[in-house]
Amino acid sequence: MLMIQNPALSERLSVFSDRNFKYLMIALAILILLLVGLFPLIYSLIVSFQNITMTDVDTSFAGLLNYKQLFKDLRLWQALGHTALITAIALPLELIFGFLLAQLFLEKMPGRQIFVALLVLPTVLSPIVAGATWRLMFDVRFGPIGQILSFIAGTPVNILWTVNPTYVYPAIIICEVWQWTPFMFLLLLAALSNVDQSQLEAAELDGASYWRVLRQIVLPAIGPVVAIAVLIRGLDLVRVFDIIWALTEGGPGSMTETISLYTYVIGFVQFDTSYTAAVAFLVVAVLSIIVTYALRRTELVR
Amino acid sequence: MAEVRISGLHKYYGPVHALKGLDLTVADGEFAVFVGPSGCGKSTLLRTIAGLEEQDGGEIRIGGQVVNDMRPRDRNIAMVFQNYALYPYLTVYDNIAFGLRSRKVGEAEIKKRVDDAAGMLGIAALLARFPRQLSGGQRQRVAIGRAIVRQAQLFLFDEPLSNLDAKLRDEMRGEIKRLHRNIATTMIYVTHDQVEAMTLADRIVLLREGRIEQQGSPLELFERPATGFVASFLGSPSINLIPARLVKRDKAVAVVLESGEVLELPDERARGLEGYTERAVTFGIRPQHLSRAGRGTAPSGSARITATADLIQPTGTRTYVTSRIGGVPVTAELDAHDVHEQGIVLDYAVDMSRCLLIDPATDKVI
Amino acid sequence: MRAAGTRHKRGKLVLRLAVATVVTLMFLFPVYWLFMISFKTPDEIFHAPPLWVPGKIQFSNYWVLFKDGDVIAIWNSLVVAGISSAMAMLLGTFCAYSLARFNTGGENLAMWIISQRMIPPIAVVFPIFLIYVYFGMVDTYAGLILLYTAFNLPYVIWMMRGYIVDIPLELEESALVDGCTRWQTFWRVVFPMARSGLMATAVFTFVFAWNDFLFALILTRTEVITFPVMLTHYFGGQSNFWSKIAAMSVLGTIPIFVAVTLMQRYLVRGISLGAVKG
Repeated sequence: MLMIQNPALSERLSVFSDRNFKYLMIALAILILLLVGLFPLIYSLIVSFQNITMTDVDTSFAGLLNYKQLFKDLRLWQALGHTALITAIALPLELIFGFLLAQLFLEKMPGRQIFVALLVLPTVLSPIVAGATWRLMFDVRFGPIGQILSFIAGTPVNILWTVNPTYVYPAIIICEVWQWTPFMFLLLLAALSNVDQSQLEAAELDGASYWRVLRQIVLPAIGPVVAIAVLIRGLDLVRVFDIIWALTEGGPGSMTETISLYTYVIGFVQFDTSYTAAVAFLVVAVLSIIVTYALRRTELVR
Repeated sequence: MAEVRISGLHKYYGPVHALKGLDLTVADGEFAVFVGPSGCGKSTLLRTIAGLEEQDGGEIRIGGQVVNDMRPRDRNIAMVFQNYALYPYLTVYDNIAFGLRSRKVGEAEIKKRVDDAAGMLGIAALLARFPRQLSGGQRQRVAIGRAIVRQAQLFLFDEPLSNLDAKLRDEMRGEIKRLHRNIATTMIYVTHDQVEAMTLADRIVLLREGRIEQQGSPLELFERPATGFVASFLGSPSINLIPARLVKRDKAVAVVLESGEVLELPDERARGLEGYTERAVTFGIRPQHLSRAGRGTAPSGSARITATADLIQPTGTRTYVTSRIGGVPVTAELDAHDVHEQGIVLDYAVDMSRCLLIDPATDKVI
Repeated sequence: MRAAGTRHKRGKLVLRLAVATVVTLMFLFPVYWLFMISFKTPDEIFHAPPLWVPGKIQFSNYWVLFKDGDVIAIWNSLVVAGISSAMAMLLGTFCAYSLARFNTGGENLAMWIISQRMIPPIAVVFPIFLIYVYFGMVDTYAGLILLYTAFNLPYVIWMMRGYIVDIPLELEESALVDGCTRWQTFWRVVFPMARSGLMATAVFTFVFAWNDFLFALILTRTEVITFPVMLTHYFGGQSNFWSKIAAMSVLGTIPIFVAVTLMQRYLVRGISLGAVKG
C-alpha cells in the first residue's frame, strides 16, 4: 500500500535492494546458521567453565575443573579409542571395496544404470534401518547369517553378534561397510570415468602394465576425489551414532561406545551439563583442527 | 620393413558404417596424410590401424604382418595425440622414458635415447619440468619425443597441431617435415587442414564419408583431381565452380556460362570431349588461374570475362577479388597492384588450359 | 566377419556381468530380508532355521501399524522433512546465488559455511536442547523444522553454488541489460536454468532430514515423533516387535527409494558435495 501511494519510496527501495542485493540474499540463511552454529558453541564454552550437574546448578566460574576431568575420565578415552578403531578399519575397507566395484563397472556394460541404481540403496537408507536390518540378520536363531555360516562351516555356528565381545566390532564394521561402500563406489566410479582417455591410450601404446598405469596415471588422477571422500567419510565415521545405537546401543556395557554415544550418555542420562559442554567442546576442537588441516591440503592440491 | 597395407577394411559404430571397405597401401618410409571433412572417418581409420578401435572386417598388415588380432602395444607403433596425452604427474624426462621403462629397457640406454630425442627436438633444457609448466608447442614436442624414443616401425599423428595457434602451427609443421627427413620412418598423419596435407605429404589420402575419394601425391590431387569434391577440398581459396554448358562452336568446343559468356577451350583440352557437348557441366577454375587482362601476365589463348569487382580483400602481396560471374560469386587471385578500388569493372583473363570440367551428375572430372 | 579379438572381449563381458549380478544380489540381500520379514507371519519370522521365502505375501504387519496409529511417525517425517527441505532450498539457493555471483564474504565466508556442515551434531544437541526447553519448542513441528533447515543449509548452499556457477553469466547480463532488477533476474533466469540442480539437491536434502535420528530423538516426544525414533521404540530384545521393525522400516524406506531412483542421474554430484561432476 505504502509503495503505491509513494512511488519515490518504492523506487528508493528498489535501488536499495538492488545495490545491497547480495547482502539481502544471504541475510536469512546466515542468521539461521549463526543461531544454530555459533550460539551453541558459545554456550558450551561458557558452561564448560561452570559447574552445572544433574543435581547442582552452580554457575560460578569453576576454572578448568571440567577439562581436568577430561583427562582423568577413562571411559572418555576408551570412547575415543573405540571411535578410532572403527574409523581406522571401516574407512580403508570402504575405499578398497568401493574401488573394486568401480573397476568392475567402469567399462560399458548392458544394464549398468540399473546395477548402479540398485547398489546405491544401502547408502540412502536411514542408518537406524540399516542397523535394525543387520540386527535381525545377525540374530542367532532366526537370522540368516548364522544359517549361512553354519552351512559353510558344516557345524552349527551360534554367535551372538551383538552381545559377544569378540564379535561386536566385526558386526558393527560389517554393517557400516555394507552401508557406505556404495558411496565410495559412486565417487570412485565418477572419478575413474573422468581420467583422460588419451593418456590411457598412450600408456597402452607405450606397453605399460596394469600396475604401472594404476600407480602412475590413474591414482594420481583420482587423488583429489579420494582425498575428499576420505575427508567426508572420515568425519562421518568419527561422529557415528545411529548405526551403533541401532545395533548395540553402545553395549555390551560400554564396549562399543563411541565418542558420540558417550557424550549422549553424559548429557542425557547423567545430565552432567558442564561436563557435557567440555566434552562437546573437545570434540569440536579436535574435528576443527582435522578439517582445517585437511581442507588446506586439498585446496593446495586442487 | 614397415609398409602398411589395408584391404577391405570395414568398421561400424552401431548402425553407422564408418569405414566402407577401404583398400590402401602406405609404402615403407612414406609420409601419408589422411585428410577430409569432419566425420569422413580419417581418425577412425588411424585409430583402427593403431588397434585402439576394433575393425569389423578386412585386414591390416604392418610390416608384412597381419595385426588384426594384435593388441596395440604389440604392433610396435607410436602415436602422437591431439591433446598431447602427457602424463601430468611425471617429469618431461619420465614422460618420454615411460614407454621404454615399460618395456624394461636399461636406464643407460634410456638416457641415451631420451637425450638424443630431446636434442633433436630442442627440449633438452625442459627435461626436469612438468607438463603443466610447458607451453602448447613445448608439450607437443615432448609428445613427439615420447614417440621417437620408442624407435617404432610406424608413427601415427592424430591432428597434433589442431590445438596450436596459427603461427606455432606453421613452425611445428616444418619441424615435423624435418623429423621425417631425419628418421625416415613410415608416418601416417591425420588432419582436416588441407594446407598441412599439401605441405607434409608424400601421399595424400582424401576420405569422404568412409570411402577413399582419391589418393596420390599432393600435386596429383591438386592438378588432376578425380572429382569436384577433391578439386574444391584442396586449394585455398577453393576452386570456383560455375554452372555452364558445353557446346560445339565451329570446330572448337566452348563453355557457355548462364550469363552468356562463351569461353573457348584450347584444342588440347577439347580433345575427347565430343561425347559431352550439349550437356550441362560445372566449370571449375582456380582463383590463381584468373588474372587481370591487359597486364601482360595472362597466358596466350585465355578467354575474356568482364565483371565488377564486388569485394576486394588485400593480403599484402596478393589481393582476392570477388565478382559475380555466371550467376555465382567467383574469387580471383590477382597481384596486389592489379586492382585497388571496389566496384570498378574489370576484364579477367581466364587460363582455359588449366580449367576443370565436372559432370554435375557424377561429380567426376571429365 | 568379425575379428577374433571380439570373442575374447565377449567372454570378458559375460564374466563381468556375472560378477556384477552376484555382487549386487549380495548387497541387496539384507534389504530383501527386511522386506520378507515384513511380509511374514509371526510363525514364519520365528522359524529356525530361518525361511528365505514367506509362504505368501501378507500385509497384516502393516495393518497393525496403521491400526495402532504408529503410522503417524511416517506422516510426521513427511511434514518435517518436506517443509524443512523446502525452506533450506529457498534460503540456501538465495545465499548460494549471492556467493556464486558476487563472492560475498569471500573465501572466509565460504569456508565457514562448509565448516558448519562438519559440526558434529552431538556437540550442539545439548545446548540446543536446553534452548528448546526454555522456549517450549520441544516436541513441536516448528522446532524440528527450524533445526533441520539450519543443518541442511550448508549442504544446499554448497551444492547450489556449484550449479549456479555452471550457468553462463551472459544470460543474466543480458537480462540486466534488458531492464530486469537483480531480484527479477534471479527468478526469471537463474531459477529455471538451475532446475535440475535444484531438484537433485532437494532430494538429497530431504533424505538427510528424513533419515536424521539424533535430533529427532532428543527434540521429539510424542507429538512429532519421526519414523527413525519410532523404529527404535521397537527395540529392546522383545522379539515380537520384529514384524513392526520390518514393516515400519519398509514404510520409511520406500519414499526414499523412489525419490533417489528418480534422481539417480545426479547421484554422484549430490552425494559427494559436488566434488565430482556427475
